[in-house]
Amino acid sequence: MTNQPDDRTVEEEIRRAAARLDPVPPELMQAATDAFAFRDLDAELAELVFDSLLDADSATLVRSSGDRRMVSFKTAELTIDIEVSRTGSDRQVMGQIMPPGPATVEIRHRNGVSTVDADELGRFSSAELRAGPLSLRLRQAGQPGPVVVTDWVAI
Amino acid sequence: MADDDTGSLVTAAAAGDKVAWQALVERFSAMVWSIARAYRLSRADAADVSQTTWLRLAENISKINNPERVGAWLATAVRRECLQNIRANARTVPTEDMALFDDVGADPNPVEAEVLRAESERENARRARIVWQALGRLPARCQQLLRVLMASPPPSYAEVAAALDLPVGSIGPTRARCLQRLRQELGVVSGIA
Repeated sequence: MTNQPDDRTVEEEIRRAAARLDPVPPELMQAATDAFAFRDLDAELAELVFDSLLDADSATLVRSSGDRRMVSFKTAELTIDIEVSRTGSDRQVMGQIMPPGPATVEIRHRNGVSTVDADELGRFSSAELRAGPLSLRLRQAGQPGPVVVTDWVAI
Repeated sequence: MADDDTGSLVTAAAAGDKVAWQALVERFSAMVWSIARAYRLSRADAADVSQTTWLRLAENISKINNPERVGAWLATAVRRECLQNIRANARTVPTEDMALFDDVGADPNPVEAEVLRAESERENARRARIVWQALGRLPARCQQLLRVLMASPPPSYAEVAAALDLPVGSIGPTRARCLQRLRQELGVVSGIA
């Protein structure tokens, strides 16, 4: 077997090489710091329960061929399904809130926050977005209870 | 890293303590980045995946079951994001084979040019490139494992296992074999220190 001090020396050296040649980008450090400010303590979290990229079996993948990806979020009361389409580096999101009903939907994204309305059937869609992290923050019209935020996904 | 205080940092951050959050970012940001790069994501994609992972932690921090194991939680979350990224890209663009350790042309640290004037710095930079190129000649599995292990501060084996979906017990022996290979690539051991 190899002896420990040698391993440590070599590991220390590759660690120095990584810090020099492939460091964490400073803007990512800033983004990680800023992530804390996005927390919404009063909101209810809709957890990520399905992502066609990871969870679909091969049959489903064949059916949903093309550049569409389905992602679902869930709270006890609500389901939010989104379909993400890709055109080059542009992304567009179409969504469906269940049970259906009008809602105000904030799309939290690298472009900032944009607000769109969901119609009576609970459908909404985004403008073109840049690739990057995305989360929705929404409240259904006339519904009591907390605002809902979805978990983050990279689109 | 399973420091005693990792759990209390998570608990404090969940209660809204920004300083505790910052300490978590400093402790784990290199690990998160290293995992994304170990999956051969480009720097831009690795940044997206890392940022998403930090946003997810912020959103979920009060729900983490074992606060002291937040590193493994992060490692699992990054792996999941990496697989998504790889699959999404596989559908739309032909995969360019991203070499893990080939990018030695430009030193990304801009202050480097200044510091390079110092002789010892120049030697360190030269040495780093030699090590980097030697890493690039290792088997893919070794490249991936070593890229994760070289995060600073170093991740625990539990975190590495979560990052690469490997049994914890396999990490130590594989690490030893890969470091041995690296030493062979680098030539004589005496030249290293």
